[in-house]
Amino acid sequence: MSSTVMASAPSFTSTSQQFLSRVAPPCPIRLPTVSVIARAAHENGGKPRLPSRLLKRLALSSRHAAIAAAAAAAMVAASPLPALAEQMEKAALFDFNLTLPAIAIEFLLLMVALDKIYFTPLGKFMDERDAAIRAKLSDVKDTSGEVKELDDQAAAVMKAARAEISAALNQMKKESSAELEQKLAEGRKRVEAELAEALQNLERQKEETIKALDSQIAALSDEIVKKVLPTV
Amino acid sequence: MNVIPCSIKTLKGLYDISGVEVGQHFYWQIGGLQVHAQVLITSWVVIAILLGSVILAVRNPQTIPTGGQNFFEYVLEFIRDLSKTQIGEEYGPWVPFIGTMFLFIFVSNWSGALLPWKIIQLPHGELAAPTNDINTTVALALLTSVAYFYAGLSKKGLGYFGKYIQPTPILLPINILEDFTKPLSLSFRLFGNILADELVVVVLVSLVPSVVPIPVMFLGLFTSGIQALIFATLAAAYIGESMEGHH
Repeated sequence: MSSTVMASAPSFTSTSQQFLSRVAPPCPIRLPTVSVIARAAHENGGKPRLPSRLLKRLALSSRHAAIAAAAAAAMVAASPLPALAEQMEKAALFDFNLTLPAIAIEFLLLMVALDKIYFTPLGKFMDERDAAIRAKLSDVKDTSGEVKELDDQAAAVMKAARAEISAALNQMKKESSAELEQKLAEGRKRVEAELAEALQNLERQKEETIKALDSQIAALSDEIVKKVLPTV
Repeated sequence: MNVIPCSIKTLKGLYDISGVEVGQHFYWQIGGLQVHAQVLITSWVVIAILLGSVILAVRNPQTIPTGGQNFFEYVLEFIRDLSKTQIGEEYGPWVPFIGTMFLFIFVSNWSGALLPWKIIQLPHGELAAPTNDINTTVALALLTSVAYFYAGLSKKGLGYFGKYIQPTPILLPINILEDFTKPLSLSFRLFGNILADELVVVVLVSLVPSVVPIPVMFLGLFTSGIQALIFATLAAAYIGESMEGHH
């Protein structure tokens, strides 16, 4: 029913500017019911099924409605179909026609085209990239073992080098200490020898001095004896 | 006592100011048959947008994606994820169908909300989202039906029809009825939502031409996206359902 009513209403060119220009909703004071009923009646092929109910109610309602009904009947009887209504005649929401298969075919063509230029190539490209990234990732995981091995190797090398160095250091220390000891011993020996020599010299000088003193003592004691004992 | 005429008056007044042309079509005659030209024109625009952006973005894929390629890779991932969730491991061959369904409906819905179709005047009727027309939604829903029948039959042969008496033969009528209700609900849901969206926006714009319709417009964008998602998800779910094993 609503579609019939809407269909039979006059068509407005629906530019938004026209919406905007209508600030206040115009309340049609003219008799819209007349045209509605008339056209609905005409659309039903002369059989006023839907409007008959309307007419009945309208007839019950008021004198105004009765006039409207009369006017409607007069219009149906008198005037031929207005051009506008004829234009509206086929208006329908559920109007199935060749559009349906046309859209279906368009859809199938679009599907094939999109498959050819979008879904398959890009999907394949993405899958390949995925596989490549996965392969690279697993490669990286493998090399982590290699890195560990290298790390171990480096640690071993470091350890060996350290051991070598410490051994060399020890040996050097040992050698230098032996040399030192030898030199020390030499020095000590030399000092001892010099000491011994000096002592010997001292001893000899002592003996010489004593010898000299002895001879002097003899002379001195002779003198003393002469002095003490002059009579002898 | 004047209830009926008044309500008709208000209805008509609302209709007049809204200027919506519901059920108005711009007809072309093709070999004695009629088509809704406005639907075909907008669907061509939608298809052109889709193909153009895809060609621009994906013609030379880079290993490190940027801009458009990045976006379309994200969309493809999304569609694959959706298909995989609904269909299962054998989702591969169905990605183009589900993806095209999603993209076509999504771009159609959004074109209705975002593209200034009204600039182009038609002799009769008006340009709007292609999904605004029952023919489009029914076509897509029927294709979904064909797709899930094809999926079931190619997977299980005639044994597919065994599912009609699956839990018990008593459910046979309901199972048969399902094959009709599925496309019906799919098509009417999409059609109703998109049509209602545009109507609500147009009526609101005509009543309060400034700020007020903006939230409703955003809501419309949201529902448009949701409807595309729902349609694609349900299509995938039906296909998955007909492919899964019945024991």
